[in-house]
Amino acid sequence: MLKINELKKTYSSRIQALKGISLEVPLGMFGLLGPNGAGKTTLMKIVATLLEPDSGTVEMNGTDLITRKDKARRMLGYLPQEFGLYPTLTAEQMLDYFAKLKGVTDKKQRRALIDILLERVNLSSARKQRLGGFSGGMRQRLGIAQALIGEPELIIVDEPTAGLDPEERVRFHNLLSETAGENTVVILSTHIVSDVSNLCSHMAVIRHGEILAACTPRQAIDGLKESVWEATVPREKVSALKSRYQVISSQMFEGLARLRVISKGQRPSEEFTPAAPALEDYYFDLVS
Amino acid sequence: MINPARAPFCAIFLNEVLVNSKRIAPYALMILFAANALLWWGWGPAVRLGWATNSDYYIVRNLLGFSFLLGLPIFNAVIMGDAVIRDFRLGVDPLIFSKPINRAEYLLGKFFGSFFVLVCCQSAFVITLLVLQAFRTSEMIVQPVRVFPYFKHFLFFVVISHLVLAAFYFTVGTLTRNAKIVYGLAVCFYPLYIAYQLFLLKGLPLRWRTILDPLLLNSGPGGGGFGHSADFLNRFVVSYTADMIANRVLVVLVAAVCLAILYVRFTTSERPGRVEKFSVLNLSTAAERVYYDSDSFQETRGRLLEAPDSKHKETQRILPLPEVARRNEGIRADVNKLIAALSVEFRLLRAERSLVVIMPLAIFLSVLEVAFYTVPPDVSYSAAYATNTAKLLLLFLIGITVFYTGEAMHRDREVRIEPVLWATPAPNNVLMLSKFLATLCLTFSLVALVGLSAIVIQFLRGHTPVDITAFLITYSVILLPGIVFMIGVSVALNVLLRDKYLAYAVSIGTGAGLFYLYSIGYNHWLYNPLLYHLWKYADLTGAGSNQATILLHGIYCLAIAGACLSVAHLFFQRKSTKGFQAEGRLSGTAWSILIAVVSVAIAAVTGFTINSSVP
Repeated sequence: MLKINELKKTYSSRIQALKGISLEVPLGMFGLLGPNGAGKTTLMKIVATLLEPDSGTVEMNGTDLITRKDKARRMLGYLPQEFGLYPTLTAEQMLDYFAKLKGVTDKKQRRALIDILLERVNLSSARKQRLGGFSGGMRQRLGIAQALIGEPELIIVDEPTAGLDPEERVRFHNLLSETAGENTVVILSTHIVSDVSNLCSHMAVIRHGEILAACTPRQAIDGLKESVWEATVPREKVSALKSRYQVISSQMFEGLARLRVISKGQRPSEEFTPAAPALEDYYFDLVS
Repeated sequence: MINPARAPFCAIFLNEVLVNSKRIAPYALMILFAANALLWWGWGPAVRLGWATNSDYYIVRNLLGFSFLLGLPIFNAVIMGDAVIRDFRLGVDPLIFSKPINRAEYLLGKFFGSFFVLVCCQSAFVITLLVLQAFRTSEMIVQPVRVFPYFKHFLFFVVISHLVLAAFYFTVGTLTRNAKIVYGLAVCFYPLYIAYQLFLLKGLPLRWRTILDPLLLNSGPGGGGFGHSADFLNRFVVSYTADMIANRVLVVLVAAVCLAILYVRFTTSERPGRVEKFSVLNLSTAAERVYYDSDSFQETRGRLLEAPDSKHKETQRILPLPEVARRNEGIRADVNKLIAALSVEFRLLRAERSLVVIMPLAIFLSVLEVAFYTVPPDVSYSAAYATNTAKLLLLFLIGITVFYTGEAMHRDREVRIEPVLWATPAPNNVLMLSKFLATLCLTFSLVALVGLSAIVIQFLRGHTPVDITAFLITYSVILLPGIVFMIGVSVALNVLLRDKYLAYAVSIGTGAGLFYLYSIGYNHWLYNPLLYHLWKYADLTGAGSNQATILLHGIYCLAIAGACLSVAHLFFQRKSTKGFQAEGRLSGTAWSILIAVVSVAIAAVTGFTINSSVP
């Protein structure tokens, strides 16, 4: 289990990115959800030992990741939000390099590991291709492959599906869900709600450097039972309804507005019908 | 009516100035130029020879020297070369070109914005000289204060000369979109310009020498003023002759032609080489790409997760990762990682296209003298060949160590692989030493290739017998410690300054300052790591008087390099485990401090011994 306690970080530009975050992350896939600029990447960088917090602790199975960085890096697999690769190396050479840096010294074992990793991320046929010619999706898959080297106990993936097309996104989800074993913590930081609802057993919502909620996606959705309502109304009525109710989405359709509102325990008005709550509703309810 | 300040050209111009004002390089250049003006004012030939420090002649002499020396053509390339490349590198180009702006406005805005910054940097030199009129030492002759000649001559001799260079670098950089080609050309400026002077201009009458010299170095009293009396020079007024004016017009025309070629050839399209090859490999599960709305996406995703469309996918999903043994503790593990990192550094160096030009050029110029000129055998032919090539290699060794160390130290950040690498359990010393050793091997291979070339030339010219020991002794005793020293210092500078261009500017500035000091007689073993003008071959064999001092000097350089590497390790941006102990052993920090202390002690003892043994 990963325990984060009272973590604070203020950048030299005086932006307070984390305001004393405390969080317990159990084994399995954990979704960290938040809008852009919420502090997700700062938190991920601190957990990945790349950034020094001002105060607070991060513990993984009893090891303090802040003070014992060398030990922390041995249990870590990290896929950053933005990363590059040496364009002149091939996929195989790149993974071989990372395997060596992660301490896999036996050549036969390393080769077997790389073969299976490339197979898993569907890059076997591109193993000899230079990374400079890789597409965004291929690069991302190689990124997850390198993060899996060395049986990491903690895998951090920061905004992994941003910029991927739907097909690559599905492929990536499959990979991630296969990765989260019984002894691994996988933190998926994202602003895409469906990524969390599809993959994660636990989640937290972060905004302005603070944790707004931590629960399971099921608990989040259950908490909104009989609170989500939908209606299709003329466009002129929208502003009046917006001022009276908490509107979480508003879509224009054939000259009419399709509204989705949250109203706990009470029907907003006659034109509204009950709707099944989704994780998006919970998220917008929290951050709006 | 449109406010001209809001025209696209002005917007691009001002933005270029703003972007450059956030860079460190222009400020570093200003400091360097102002310091240089101070040096030439207080310690130049004027004080020694009784020349007035603000006479018309001396102003022009300083400006011409400034325009040519001090790496100004190289700094010109640094400012002008990547103005447009930057937009493409940062991906701002589609945002700019989607606005109602034409090519001419964009290119001219970029060019004049960058050139304005360059001129501002250069003006630090002339403004410093102008201000220094207010100060004088007891031996200094100062004429009544003048202002206009400084700016008039600065515009005529410096700004216009550098306009053509700026236009050339800007054109090449923009058309090739490769800053390395621009820097390569800038490095080639001196040999090309000197060759142009020697082989083309030297034989021409003075008039044509004046008209065809882009830097106007052939104008004014010859011999750098040394053949004339102080009185004559102090009264000498530099007037612009018709030939000089024709030269300036020609230079401006050439600059305009460069920009015109650029205007015609410039395209805003993406280069084919940079386009991601989506169609090269068809790894998709579907025959063609289909894009979904959110509802159908969920549906499809479910299908993909639950019902794989091929047996291959089934196999792929159930493949377990094999268990592997990992070794992350102990020196052996660190050495294995260092070897891995080093082999990757070599692979990356092998892909460096600039080396294809630099290495042959360095070899050619280093053996030029022994290949084509008379080589007087001092002790032996081999000794003369080794000594000559070692001396000529110095400039390239400085360039290669400074630039390739900077490239290696910042490459991981530039290709954005740093966060991935830094999250692996590789210690800082592995990441840092791999860069150090790769550059060291690169320079050693250059030295070895020059040595081999010299041996082959010696053999071909019939200057036998070939004594390989002479080469080994010269290169290992003279060049090796200097190379280690320079790479060590470069590593430390790149770590401490965090910016490779700043590190380059500091290295070049310090190097130029030291060579200037050596050339005016301030040459001492303690601040001459390359032993420039301090040794001869006889010293290495024991026949001379400095054998012990040279050996001590080698240890002194190696100790300083060790101290620099330790300091670089201590201040390396990637943090490691805190404290002096980790898992019952000394931590990296503790080792760094220990090595730094020992190195500094060795450097102090050897330095003191050298100081007391030389006059």
